[in-house]
Amino acid sequence: METRNRRRLLTALFGAGAVGVILRVFDPATSRIFPPCPVWYLTGWYCPGCGSLRAIHQLLHGNLQAAWAMNPLTVILLPFICYGLVSHAVIAIRGQGNGLPRLFLPAVWIRALCALIVLYGIARNLPFYPFDLLAPGAMLRL
Amino acid sequence: MFCPQCGASTPDNAVVCMQCGRNLQAAPPPPLQATPYQGAPLQAPGVILPPGATVPNYLVFAILTTVFCCLPAGIPAIVFAAQVNGKLQAGDLAGAQQASKNAKLWCLISLGLGLAVVVIWGLLVLAGVLTGISHQN
Repeated sequence: METRNRRRLLTALFGAGAVGVILRVFDPATSRIFPPCPVWYLTGWYCPGCGSLRAIHQLLHGNLQAAWAMNPLTVILLPFICYGLVSHAVIAIRGQGNGLPRLFLPAVWIRALCALIVLYGIARNLPFYPFDLLAPGAMLRL
Repeated sequence: MFCPQCGASTPDNAVVCMQCGRNLQAAPPPPLQATPYQGAPLQAPGVILPPGATVPNYLVFAILTTVFCCLPAGIPAIVFAAQVNGKLQAGDLAGAQQASKNAKLWCLISLGLGLAVVVIWGLLVLAGVLTGISHQN
């Protein structure tokens, strides 16, 4: 492995580990060490990522249901994101072509995903049933 | 056609294997007598990828920065990621590389804006803590 890749990989692993520890110890729902989302702060709207950190905090404590209530899209996308990051790391270690099978998404799928993220962001701000359930934490109050 | 590395079936005009990501353009050319006149080559002259190289679309990072950093700058990153794969599917290697650069650029813009917010917030918290300490004295 190239020295440059090794340094990048170690930095990434260290960063991911630090973020994981911080997110497990501090609950973004109550702790003030996390900055507020600028979108929410400026507009009061829930963006598609709203509740992601709270969801990951719950996942790190094994509470899938609470995580789902905070941000279902994040819970769905996390396995794909993790796979993508791990396959990047494997390629950095073992070289191109020796890694995990790469996910090649046809362009149509990526555009659909993009549309899904935008529509999800709109839907979770609608103030009526059933869309109001998508607001962060709303499903916990059922 | 089939990928020489993993054997997956790929479209005839694919630049990379959809399964393992191998650069199919760098595969050994087929015997000359089998393909005498097939028109212009898919690959623009001067664009030669090293064997096994691929055109990254940064999709994972685009989604990450959209969800965690800055939504308005993350959306173009996802759109350009889609363009990379669309152009690879169409055999447009140069276009895919350009879209790849744009995807990376928007990922970095989004990341930068997200980090800026974190840093500003950190400074505000620090200022608040210092003010609190000085008021106690």
